[in-house]
Amino acid sequence: MGRDQLLSVTGLAKRYGATVALQSLSMEVAPREVHAILGENGAGKSTLVKILSGVVRPNGGTMRLGGSDYTPHSIVEARRAGVSTAFQELSLLPNLTVAENLLLPNVSGGPLRPSSRGDAIAAARDIFAEFDIDDIDPRWRVEDLSLAEKQRLEITRAFSHKPRLLILDEPTAALPDTTWLFDQIRRLTGDGVAILYISHRLAEVRELCQRATVLRNGVSIGTVDLAGINDDEIFKMMVGRAPEARFPGRAPAAGDRPVVLEGRNLSSGRMRDVSFELRQGEILGVAALEGQGQLELFRALAGLAPATGGDIQVDGSPAALASPHQAMAAGIAYVPEERKVEGVFGGLTAAANVSLPKIGAISRSGILTHAQDAKAIAGPARAVELADRYFGFRMNDLSGGNQQKAVLARALMSGARCLVMFDPTRGVDVGTKQAIYAMMRDFADKGGAILVYSSELPELVNLCDACLVIYGGRVAAEVPRGELSEQYLLTAAHGHVGDEPMKAAS
Amino acid sequence: MSVEDDMTATDAAAAAADTRGAARIGSEPITIAVIFGITVLLILSSRFISPAFGGWSQTETILFLSSFLVFCSFGQGLVILVRGLDLSIASMITLGGVLTTTWLAGSNDGIWYVIPAILAVSAAIGSISGIGVTVLRIPPFIMTLAMGIIVYSLCLGYTQGTPRGYPAPALADLMRAHVLGVPAPVLLLAVFVAIAVVLQSWTTFGRRLYAVGNNPVAAHVSGLSTRRLTIGAYAISAMCAGFTGIALAAYANGATLRMGDDYLLPSIAAVVVGGSSILGGKGNFLGTVGGAILLTTLGTILAALGIEQGWKTIIEGAVILVALIILRESVYEAIRVWMGRTSAG
Amino acid sequence: MSAVDATSATEAGHAAPKRRLRQGIASQGAVLIGVIYVILWVVYAAEQPSALSAYSIESLLNNSLPLMLAAAGQTFVVLQGGFDLSVAGIISLSNVLVAVYPVEGPFGALVNLAMVVGVGLAVGATNGILVAYMRIQSIAATLATMIVCQGIALLILKAPGGYVSEFIAYELTGSLFGTVPVAAVIAVAVACIWLAFRRTNTGIALYAVGRDATAAELSGIDVRRTRFAAFCWAGVLYGCAGFMLSAQTSTGNPTAGEPFLLLCFAAVALGGTSFSGGSGGVIGSLIGAATLMLMQKVLFSTGVSSFYTGVFQGVVMIVAVLFAAFVQYMSRSRGNG
Repeated sequence: MGRDQLLSVTGLAKRYGATVALQSLSMEVAPREVHAILGENGAGKSTLVKILSGVVRPNGGTMRLGGSDYTPHSIVEARRAGVSTAFQELSLLPNLTVAENLLLPNVSGGPLRPSSRGDAIAAARDIFAEFDIDDIDPRWRVEDLSLAEKQRLEITRAFSHKPRLLILDEPTAALPDTTWLFDQIRRLTGDGVAILYISHRLAEVRELCQRATVLRNGVSIGTVDLAGINDDEIFKMMVGRAPEARFPGRAPAAGDRPVVLEGRNLSSGRMRDVSFELRQGEILGVAALEGQGQLELFRALAGLAPATGGDIQVDGSPAALASPHQAMAAGIAYVPEERKVEGVFGGLTAAANVSLPKIGAISRSGILTHAQDAKAIAGPARAVELADRYFGFRMNDLSGGNQQKAVLARALMSGARCLVMFDPTRGVDVGTKQAIYAMMRDFADKGGAILVYSSELPELVNLCDACLVIYGGRVAAEVPRGELSEQYLLTAAHGHVGDEPMKAAS
Repeated sequence: MSVEDDMTATDAAAAAADTRGAARIGSEPITIAVIFGITVLLILSSRFISPAFGGWSQTETILFLSSFLVFCSFGQGLVILVRGLDLSIASMITLGGVLTTTWLAGSNDGIWYVIPAILAVSAAIGSISGIGVTVLRIPPFIMTLAMGIIVYSLCLGYTQGTPRGYPAPALADLMRAHVLGVPAPVLLLAVFVAIAVVLQSWTTFGRRLYAVGNNPVAAHVSGLSTRRLTIGAYAISAMCAGFTGIALAAYANGATLRMGDDYLLPSIAAVVVGGSSILGGKGNFLGTVGGAILLTTLGTILAALGIEQGWKTIIEGAVILVALIILRESVYEAIRVWMGRTSAG
Repeated sequence: MSAVDATSATEAGHAAPKRRLRQGIASQGAVLIGVIYVILWVVYAAEQPSALSAYSIESLLNNSLPLMLAAAGQTFVVLQGGFDLSVAGIISLSNVLVAVYPVEGPFGALVNLAMVVGVGLAVGATNGILVAYMRIQSIAATLATMIVCQGIALLILKAPGGYVSEFIAYELTGSLFGTVPVAAVIAVAVACIWLAFRRTNTGIALYAVGRDATAAELSGIDVRRTRFAAFCWAGVLYGCAGFMLSAQTSTGNPTAGEPFLLLCFAAVALGGTSFSGGSGGVIGSLIGAATLMLMQKVLFSTGVSSFYTGVFQGVVMIVAVLFAAFVQYMSRSRGNG
């Protein structure tokens, strides 16, 4: 164990009840280093962040910081020891001002002293000046900030505690431009700060970091020198086997089949004049950067936020989708963006979650038993590979992957002919992804139609029959199957097709 | 509710291999068992107070007395289930009682349409509260409190300050009748509980209410008409309170303007002691029934103790407190972990 | 439901991020209820010109003050995201203590005040331990402590009776130098203390915890201590409410606090504090409580049959909440352009 290391962790373990979140994690971070943590969802990354930040206490293992034992019992203690964290889930209070958020928990400078607004704002301005932020006013309330601004505020707050070790958990998740962050990181490391950088974006990690520690199932597999290892080898360490893009095969082109769902010149919010045709048996992808109007499109089709302009046709006749209920009646099932908020009934069993849209039909004159539930959901559950031993579990006790399977099974359960899926594989493990791909292919092969937005381009390229690219609220390109490539989608998603800004096609 | 525990739950879920053997043991059966257990112990131990106690006849009395609280707690529980609170219960009980005595005026004539009419009026008033909460988005607390004040004031004006009249003799007779040796009100309680349990736990309506209470946003996204369901819960609650008023008037052979006051807070207490979350989405009516019987048992035994009213009240509060401490979620977690370990080891 | 609309509202806000430097968290609701209060005064004065006499104002303020203090205390608990039913128990207990153990003279008044503040603090701290540290639902925990307090009040005084020391009964319900009602001074003092408190670390933490306890914890706030402090403040203010109630009634009643239970929640809601926590403030609650009491006077003066005043009271409560929501909606949609 090198004496010159800033942080050294040995055999760190954390259990929650009978669940093991971290089994044995060992790693070292040197001063001035930007050290990456890589791993799949559920590998233990967030548990490590919480332990190092003092939010939870480990069950075993040792941590040493700068040569002395490090056992923080709270966020404040961790900060005092020189560790501060920018959390992935953003720990900002929307009802307080930027300045108050920046200075929490000690805004006023003393426990009983009332703070003066002027002092707090001046202090916030100083911090902003130090970290080159000039477009956020400390007097604004945080709920009025954009997501990217909130992310920068969260990061700046971590900077401002003058840490020796800075933890950045997915700091670029909502940042369209990373220049500012990377400049600050380089400056801080120049001043001797060590940074623990957690990101699933390998390109960023390679740009910033020298070494990376790979986690798998709560165990640290090893620390690697990023210069001497290629992406495939890293993936192999993360998943424990060579990564294979196992996408199901594809059906023949759907060009002559009937159109199931059609949007004509749809507008609402950021979405402007979007038209599309979705045919029977087709999987139509939607590619877009964050916040280009794709959410408005999907919410309009789900009946959650009806489009303010244009019309929607189902099976060739106009359909009014003024509520989710009407959308379902029209045969459209929506798989929502935010699983936790819009999809999961955490306190109900998985079976109850799945059967919900059809309980009227399952029941015998309004009476409903668990056995009826279990029987009725068997088909959809099999289609998404949701094992029936989970049927009786409360959703809160299931992993994200199984929760998502249940949400998908519910969509199938509704008997919809058309699935409208918003990023269905977000935050789920590889196995669940495979199950979701298979389910989608199977659904389309049986004559259903799918409109899917994904933030992961390989999915769109390998799964879809065609792809819409939305940029600035408009359809920037329609890409047929033959021309689908990650490169092309990415370029188009940035508003460039053939090196010139595009307008809506066809 | 602590943050750390929230995160523990999320983390555990995220990292879970979904193999926790004990995860299926919900807290509900434990709650119900513990509550009924405490109640039975209380009744048995009351033998030490008086030899007349602890027997079947005392149990009958307790069941009979608790039936009023059970009736109105069912509605309260449904409203709490959909993340609301019904503070109009006291006034609705009074309304039910006042209408029973004035409309029937001591005669058996018209009993067949007066009682349905009272229940319909109650349900209509409850629907107004429900509409206020869902469509106008008035906080349930304020909406039902205001509705309670309005209904009470209407009762006051309608009776000019003194309720007159008597319930139908048939109703009063029913409260004293025995069927196969069991008092009719106890049978009524059993029938009510059976219907209520089926409605809440075994019907599509009940299932949808759980969904709305558990996650209103997801319920909306899933195509449920959350407004209509919520209004339904408020309507049922008002109807249950009206029914309680009818039963109380029949039992007391008359109505008073303050007859509902003793049931508002106990109805909330019964629901919460019965293991439901005041935040909605979680709970079981059998737990509430247990909570209501427990509270009534306690009241009956304390009344028989012949101690000062102050001490009785203190003991009542203390017992609720102890029940709450015993029934805490963290205690279930401990039990689950313990059972998980023993089954794993 | 509302949460769905809230999401889309935020999205719209991001689409057109036109920000205003918003008023402080508390002020909006307080201004609204202030306007309603003034309108009611105008109606009252028009109906009954004697309403503006010094005596009439003084007696109205004296009537209102106990509820104002109770609502102020309740606001602390509601802001952190909970309910406190012990208000009824603490007021009864304080009232009984002051009436059974009267101590004469100004110094005696201080002794009595110390007694009720001590009791309020003790009960509040108990609530705080139960809710913040033992994680019992606040409405259930405080229901139990309320019942216990009522029991203790009954032990101290079985039936209404006792007498309150003359100094408390006369001096605290009179006017300073014959012009400024003592009740007004106390109300303003509470408002000032609140204004200072909400800029302290604990005050800011109160809003943070009420809005999002997880984010507050991750921001370094001691969530449990903040919740605990809220219940303690509330208990102290309920004690003061009981003290002022005793001054006003000059007698003791073991059930004196019961009418305050639901009314103080109504006052908090009227004052624009959200029951989901994290927005609102004490000043709105003070005016909300005063409005409720004034409303009774107005209804009485307009000659509505006293049987039916409740109907108007209920309707006005609903309308006030709707009006506040409407104004907030208008100002929001303007703000988001």
